[in-house]
Amino acid sequence: MSGILYIKTTKGDIVNQSIPRESSYQSRIRTSIMRLARWNGAWVASTALMAFGPKFLWDRALVFTLLAVGLNVAVGIGMILANKKHIIELDELQRKVYLNALAITVGVAIVASVPYSVMTTYHVIPFKAEIAHLVILMGLTFFVSILYGTWRYR
Amino acid sequence: MKNRLKVLRAERDWTQAQLAEALDVSRQTINAIETGKFDPSLPLAFRAARLFAVPIEAIFHDEDRRSLATEIKKDTDK
Repeated sequence: MSGILYIKTTKGDIVNQSIPRESSYQSRIRTSIMRLARWNGAWVASTALMAFGPKFLWDRALVFTLLAVGLNVAVGIGMILANKKHIIELDELQRKVYLNALAITVGVAIVASVPYSVMTTYHVIPFKAEIAHLVILMGLTFFVSILYGTWRYR
Repeated sequence: MKNRLKVLRAERDWTQAQLAEALDVSRQTINAIETGKFDPSLPLAFRAARLFAVPIEAIFHDEDRRSLATEIKKDTDK
């Protein structure tokens, strides 16, 4: 499906130019998001396999555990590359929103993780600090930052 | 930075989505530029100038620069 975009040239002539109903930018971004979602899903699945496999699937057999770790790292690298490719695909405003969100996320992770670790060491908090807590904090921070950035430039 | 993107678009009866498509950006970006919330990069500004077939300064202008030019003109006229 296509639409028509009329363009007036410097000589005053009106010319038309066919444009797709769904913009190439939109379809590119949709493809990029789907690719990113697939890599993220694969990473979560490989992380679950690495975390629960030794106990529930292969009775702590070292070879399988190492294979699961290797798979997790490989999929993780794929996820990073997909993320990088996604940032390149974004237009300049959306890239700005995305990079701002990443900067805030990294900052929050660094600032929050050290006191959290110290609080655990000195038993200020009644539970043990887990890396999962940091991952959840980063995920939520990134999500809120993206929402804020999108709202700011809406 | 001020711009005449909305005026030029309206003159041609284009929607933000059509302009976004022509410039290969999102509609949100066009809206943010039109409302002055976001200043486009030089390559995007050049793409817009090419699309509207006008010089780049006919679309985008720096407010401070314009007021500076007015002051200089006033001084020269004295």
